Amino acid sequence: MDVRLEKLTRRFGSVTAVDGLDLEIRDGEFVALLGPSGCGKTTTLLMTAGIYRPTSGAIYFGERRVDHLLPRDRGIGMVFQNYALYPHMTVAENIGFPLSLRRSITREERDRRIGLVAEQVRVDELLARRPAQLSGGQQQRVALARALVKEPDILLLDEPLSNLDARLRHTMRAEIKRLQKELRITSIFVTHDQLEALTMADRIALMADGKLAAYGAPDDLYERPRNRFVAEFIGNPPMNFLDAEVARVDGQMVVRSAGNVQAPLTLALADRLPLNGSARAVTLGVRPEHLIIGPPDQSHARGEVYMVEPMGREQVIDVRVGERSLQAIAPASLSVRVGEPVGLTFDATRLHLFDPAAGERLG
Amino acid sequence: MGGLGRGISSALPYAVLILFTLPILILYCWLGFSSFFTRMEGLRPAGAFTLENWRFLWVPETVEQLANKPPIIPLTINTLVFSLATTAVVLLVSSMAGYALSRLNFPGRRAFLGSVLLLHSFPSVTLLIATFIVLRQIGLYDRLLGVILVKAAFEIPLGIWIMKGFFDTVPWELEMAALVDGAGRITVWWRIVMPLVRPGLLALGLLAFVSGWNEFLLPFVFMPSGSQATLSLLVRALLGEGRFVDYGLLTAVGLYYVLPILILFLFAQDHLMKVYGGGVKG
Repeated sequence: MDVRLEKLTRRFGSVTAVDGLDLEIRDGEFVALLGPSGCGKTTTLLMTAGIYRPTSGAIYFGERRVDHLLPRDRGIGMVFQNYALYPHMTVAENIGFPLSLRRSITREERDRRIGLVAEQVRVDELLARRPAQLSGGQQQRVALARALVKEPDILLLDEPLSNLDARLRHTMRAEIKRLQKELRITSIFVTHDQLEALTMADRIALMADGKLAAYGAPDDLYERPRNRFVAEFIGNPPMNFLDAEVARVDGQMVVRSAGNVQAPLTLALADRLPLNGSARAVTLGVRPEHLIIGPPDQSHARGEVYMVEPMGREQVIDVRVGERSLQAIAPASLSVRVGEPVGLTFDATRLHLFDPAAGERLG
Repeated sequence: MGGLGRGISSALPYAVLILFTLPILILYCWLGFSSFFTRMEGLRPAGAFTLENWRFLWVPETVEQLANKPPIIPLTINTLVFSLATTAVVLLVSSMAGYALSRLNFPGRRAFLGSVLLLHSFPSVTLLIATFIVLRQIGLYDRLLGVILVKAAFEIPLGIWIMKGFFDTVPWELEMAALVDGAGRITVWWRIVMPLVRPGLLALGLLAFVSGWNEFLLPFVFMPSGSQATLSLLVRALLGEGRFVDYGLLTAVGLYYVLPILILFLFAQDHLMKVYGGGVKG
């Protein structure tokens, strides 16, 4: 079932939480609504679920317009951030609850389907327990089972992993993705964690201030962010930004910045960037993983090591370049000391240029 | 020194508690002894042990002769019906109103909450005459049903506040989840929310029942003819005969009257203590 949001708007008093959102989700697709807190992503999900009524705009499931329908008439399953399991019911009763509301389903049929879905999410051993006797991960699975048992057309997940510890989060990420692909169920999940979005989603809808900031495959958003906000939000540690200018030096196009920072532009990028006059102001963006630390000579920028954060397999190195600080990722084997002078080499093929005023991507 | 000090300091609360409970305990003991002996001298039983005072249980005419009231069994049933019916009305109205006040945002909600509190602190005695007129008008004067409704009405304000406090503790997400799972609002209320406020319902129910059982003023004023009288009226009648008070019989009836409540408290004290644990916030 494909989903279409058209000019979806929701106001709470004088606050506009979601502002004219247009979004199309293809049948069987797994889409992440990603954004900082307060960007309207959960509000969007709750409107899709039918908990909130849109102030204006429309929601279509397939050809059917659903924004006036009650949640129960929409054919959705939903997993809540804190799972929202019914504390007074056993696991089996929790999973069976959606079916118990339908007169057409017999008790035998209900039990059969509870067993089936419980096996699918591996809680079949826990059916007699109550939610309070389950671990966070188990509660999460039960919540998933309850959402899936009625075989919904659309699965909605609100921050499904945020209450789990890091290790479990990793497992559940893979598990939810596997299940989604297996069932081929159109799914929307809300997250503020870009790593979750990047690893799980087919497409990411990045939201800011109630509007859609970017919508595309994780690779697209990472490789070609369409504006500074997207570039800053996707990627960890975040992209470095420098006030810079594009200029022609000795017949070659370069991007340069205060403090003797200068890096060549690739021909492809230079071609797409019309240069009126001698120079053009830009914001240069470069990801920490595309900055190579080396000896000070023969580099694009010079500075000294300000801080080193070992991360196990790699280390994040903070380099002071003039007044600014740039973050670079280096292999753990590289040995640098705080205060040591180093050079930074920019990966010319992975540079991003943005309009300094509007923040739109250039080239 | 340390051990002794701790011993004294941990014994102190008990000492204080005993000191303050002792008068009440002595009263209950006196009540018990007095009902099983022919007479009392001060706090000590004098005379022979007897079951004569309890004759109202097996000689139904006793009550009628002494106090012009129905026999003890119908009286007990009346009291039970009165208390249970009051409890039922209080629970039903309080849980529905409390839910609405906790969950729905309607115009005048805050003002309503405030006035409910005001109603609770309003001395009900001042409303007796107005209530009398209303009961006369709707034809419920001198009938048990009328007294039940009046009693429930006086109990409901506190009930609403208590239940609202309990409903406030039920997370919104549970209701959202149930709505998505396919339930309607009433189903959500009945199958998800009500089971979760069960401690509140139990506590409020007990309070209402006990309050109904103990109620004297309302049946006394609004059911003068006495065919549907309750136990509290009997106790009052035995006291107020004027010429001669049979203290033995009075204490036996009194004990019979408080015994169910004592037993109830014994089993339900845990639930009752939760009643103010629900928390209240506007």
